[in-house]
Amino acid sequence: MKKNIIGILGLLIAIFVITAVLNPKFISAYNMQNLVKWSSLYAIMGVGVAFVIITGGIDLSIGSVIGLTASLLAFTLGKNWDPAVAICAMLGLSALIGLVHGLLVTKAKLQPFVVTLCGLLIYRGMARWVTDNQSMGFKGHDQLNEIFSGKIPITDTFALPMPFVFLVVISVAAALFLNRTIWGRYLLALGNNEEGARYSGIQTDNLKIAAYVICSLLAGISGILFAFELDSVQPAQTGEFYELYAIAAAVLGGCSLRGGEGGILGVIIAAAVIRLIYNSINMLGISTHLEYAILGIVILVGVVADELLKRYTAKRAAR
Amino acid sequence: MAAPVTPLLEVRGLGKRFPGVRALHDARLTLGHGEVLAVIGENGAGKSTLMKILAGVQPADTGEIFIDGQPVQFQSVREALAQGVALIHQELNLAANLDLAANIFLGREPHKFGFIDHATLHAEAEEHLRRVGLDLPTDTLVGDLPIGRQQLVEIAKALSCEARVLIMDEPTSSLSQHESETLFEVVRDLRAQGISVIYISHRLGEVTELADRVLVLRDGENAGELSRGEINHDAMVRLMVGRDLEQFYDRKQHDPGDLVLELEDVRTPAHPHAEISLQLRVGEIVGIAGLVGSGRTELLQTIFGVTPSVGGQMRMAGEPFAPRNPREAIRAGLALAPEDRKQHGLILQMAVRENASLASLSRDQQNGFLNFNAEEKVATEAVEQLAIKTPNLDQATVNLSGGNQQKVVLGKWLALKPRVLLLDEPTRGIDVGAKREMYRLMEQLAADGVAILFVSSELEEVLGMADRALVMHEGRLAGELARDQLSEQAVMQLATGTPLAA
Amino acid sequence: MKAARFLLSFACASALLLGWGCKKPTDSKSSTVTIAYVTNGVDPFWDLCAAGVRIAEKEFNIKCEVHMPTKGLVDQKRIMETLIAKGIDAMAISPIDAENQTAFLNEAAQQTKLITHDADAPDSERMLYIGTNNYKAGRALGQLVKDALPEGGEVMIFVGRLEQLNARQRRQGVIDELLGRPEQELASVKFDPVDAKNLKAEGSKYIILDTRTDNFDKAKAKSNAEDTITKYENVACMVGLFAYNPPACLDAIREANRTGKIKVCGFDEPDAMLQAIKDGHAQGTVSQQPWKYGYESVKAMKLILDGDTSFIPANKFIEVPFVVVTKENVDEFWATKKKMAELGKQ
Repeated sequence: MKKNIIGILGLLIAIFVITAVLNPKFISAYNMQNLVKWSSLYAIMGVGVAFVIITGGIDLSIGSVIGLTASLLAFTLGKNWDPAVAICAMLGLSALIGLVHGLLVTKAKLQPFVVTLCGLLIYRGMARWVTDNQSMGFKGHDQLNEIFSGKIPITDTFALPMPFVFLVVISVAAALFLNRTIWGRYLLALGNNEEGARYSGIQTDNLKIAAYVICSLLAGISGILFAFELDSVQPAQTGEFYELYAIAAAVLGGCSLRGGEGGILGVIIAAAVIRLIYNSINMLGISTHLEYAILGIVILVGVVADELLKRYTAKRAAR
Repeated sequence: MAAPVTPLLEVRGLGKRFPGVRALHDARLTLGHGEVLAVIGENGAGKSTLMKILAGVQPADTGEIFIDGQPVQFQSVREALAQGVALIHQELNLAANLDLAANIFLGREPHKFGFIDHATLHAEAEEHLRRVGLDLPTDTLVGDLPIGRQQLVEIAKALSCEARVLIMDEPTSSLSQHESETLFEVVRDLRAQGISVIYISHRLGEVTELADRVLVLRDGENAGELSRGEINHDAMVRLMVGRDLEQFYDRKQHDPGDLVLELEDVRTPAHPHAEISLQLRVGEIVGIAGLVGSGRTELLQTIFGVTPSVGGQMRMAGEPFAPRNPREAIRAGLALAPEDRKQHGLILQMAVRENASLASLSRDQQNGFLNFNAEEKVATEAVEQLAIKTPNLDQATVNLSGGNQQKVVLGKWLALKPRVLLLDEPTRGIDVGAKREMYRLMEQLAADGVAILFVSSELEEVLGMADRALVMHEGRLAGELARDQLSEQAVMQLATGTPLAA
Repeated sequence: MKAARFLLSFACASALLLGWGCKKPTDSKSSTVTIAYVTNGVDPFWDLCAAGVRIAEKEFNIKCEVHMPTKGLVDQKRIMETLIAKGIDAMAISPIDAENQTAFLNEAAQQTKLITHDADAPDSERMLYIGTNNYKAGRALGQLVKDALPEGGEVMIFVGRLEQLNARQRRQGVIDELLGRPEQELASVKFDPVDAKNLKAEGSKYIILDTRTDNFDKAKAKSNAEDTITKYENVACMVGLFAYNPPACLDAIREANRTGKIKVCGFDEPDAMLQAIKDGHAQGTVSQQPWKYGYESVKAMKLILDGDTSFIPANKFIEVPFVVVTKENVDEFWATKKKMAELGKQ
């Protein structure tokens, strides 16, 4: 697992250095602050989907869950709900969504792809319908804004964005869960070989459900963070396609779609790589029309390099 | 001595390596015209590898093959077939949705002007079917035939390719007694027609009945040959295991203690109409014999909660016991080393350490957190106690040999000190040395008071290890044989559905 | 037990949320529905257009369905096909990709009275086009930039995507105005390449650095603005061509503590932009008065269905006047917008 991180970390450093050399303004405190902020926002979803991918599943509904929680948060706050209640309701709702996904996958034995694809459509539709598809903002919620998108000054020029604080707390908890608890071990075991795990006395269904709950819950948290970062929510658009960024980060970060493989740090670094690519494209003045192509190529190169590295080390270990 | 005749088939110095395993080394074989040669040996002795090379399924690393004295090289099944060598697989390769004639000529249909010549097709198919004693309409669908007859179709198909050497790999493993006897008749007929047969079997009784000569393989090498007059059970076993039977199994006398596991009219989902009752006592080793598909694995899976029972009662040490999943069975003191180690026994990609500790993690947890010290201890103990050969605890189990993989599975369970140990084909695919260790371990555990219930397709193993044997047939217990009643013939009779004479 | 109650309460909470949605009246699908108004996406802008539709509905006593495709071109096509299948009598549409939709639009024009609004499809057989002269509006936007930077400076343009004709026309208007080029005819505007950088002209004090697109991802729009602040320290004015672009720029500028130092000019009339104009943080915005789009579209369809086509000019273009909103007229404009927004939500 450590080897995966070396590859992706190398990629991060390489793009970082190249961009910094070509445009020194890239390493300004302001830009670093932005980079950290966006990387954190996307990494949180990536960490979530990593859990589901480790079980051998997939969650395509992340973007829609982001859209739904962001929309309903703005909607309920607009209806003068108590902010604490509204936030808790959003977290509860997203956890509930994950629970439903998990139950459908384990008990009804539906394919995760199908379940979450339907989720993608349903939550997006609900978000639009409940909110009447109105764009909404967060006027008069300065305190919430401070909590979710504020900044903690570090130096005169550099301040730590709140999403980063959230990411640190979430990723430390996630890494502890995955690497230090028996359930994390079970999750890796069942991702590798579900039957084998079951034969060893592991309640595989419960763990899979937990993975979907974690994924949707983190998507819900992302939704809240994105809502306050952008100060406005469009029910039809907020979070659209973000599941693909999340999945890309998880895969680039060393999670195998076959399951059983993955680490938290790798996913976070991969999310940073993806945001770094966007930032570099702007910094170097490359046409925004080329963005997707560059992103696709870099992810492909990263995944191929990772695979080659793995084979090389396996060969050396075999010798 | 008669003048030397050129053998139909001769093999010299055949060698084959797989990663980490020497499957064959300097294997030799000769086969005369119209001869039935039985090839026997333990699992993993190299029989299947040898046959696959002969049939062109895989190439040899070293060695030569001669047909009628001419050196040949088979790059594919097609090339072997062109030289008259055909393999009848354990798993039949017929298309169930096609009729007999179509199956026999699949890919070689007689044709006129690009259209299939149905008249010729069926006429010729009928002729080949008659040679194997099948008097059936050639438009019968293969899927409608019982397995024994499908096998005959497969043989007819080989004959239609003008095969001179038929290789049969465990042809009776899923046949009834009657079907087996039909097959033997066909084999004798073919021999009379001058066709040679290489016959691979575990069933030494069959071999004695059928073979002109016996070749014994052990650990990929020739262990010896027996000519017609020398073929008897003990001689074959001695060559197979390399020493006398008693010494190999190293059995001690057990004194069964209290009742620990009890099944009363238990029905498994696989055979919901068959009720099974059995009792298992402390310190007892009980074998379950039967044909492939007779419901042995399913019985173990039901006891272990993998597929919960659909009726009847179970009791563990007198307490009602109805596991809905393996976890509940494990908590009640059971453990299962499953038949399919790679799918069910291990998490192959994970390390020895992680596999050995997987079942005991929750016992050793500290408020949900992993206890790395306890894990290290469990894994170290398993490696030491079972003499698992691994460079270190962090080696992925996929890189271990079959025997060592099986030891890791056992180590995982022994850490929990189970009261009942279920073993499904415990020695499948492991070498003779590891087998001996496995038998010693079973003895040791029984002496320590573990009740052992094991399923085995190797009769020798059941005869050698079991205090008593349960024989299954079509999901039911066909009978129970005490130690002094145990014989190959008795087991086979029950396994094929024939009641024992009183 | 506790966990079950916990879950139950959340189930109730979510059911409650859904319940609210249920209260709102569903669109009546009576047989009187004969015309439709199809947008190119979902945006507050289109809600304001819907307000105009509602006013006209009352005035001309006609029912008009409003459809907002959420998934771009394909979704828009699906909606149009459904409407045609339903036998709609007239349809006003804002084509997402006019040039490549021509064949399909022609097909639609065969089966119903088709007009375009907001964005035109000049090569198609639509009966008329109701919209802003986006090139002229772009030039007006350019004039706003000139007012903001009388001494000249570096200008950056932000837009959702440039595949749309109106986006390209607006951009070209801004560029031509700033570089002092002569005015072009709307029907035959010549465009600078989409990735043209550092555009300048002799006699002009302005440099147009670049045009960044975001594909309607608001997070991307904001990070585009942030990256511009990093890359171009001398950027003096940010121009947002789509409604959400100027607020994204304002956010980024505020967080970089450059409020007021970097000017913002924009298109359309989101509240955040109007507030910024009021506070003096943004120079001004060009409003297309969207309610007039809706109103004029319904009116035109009504006239056509009544058999009156005499109002259609030779160039088939009915121009909706735009207004330039600056600090001077922002209060009055905002009041009108609020009224329309209320109406549009009904």
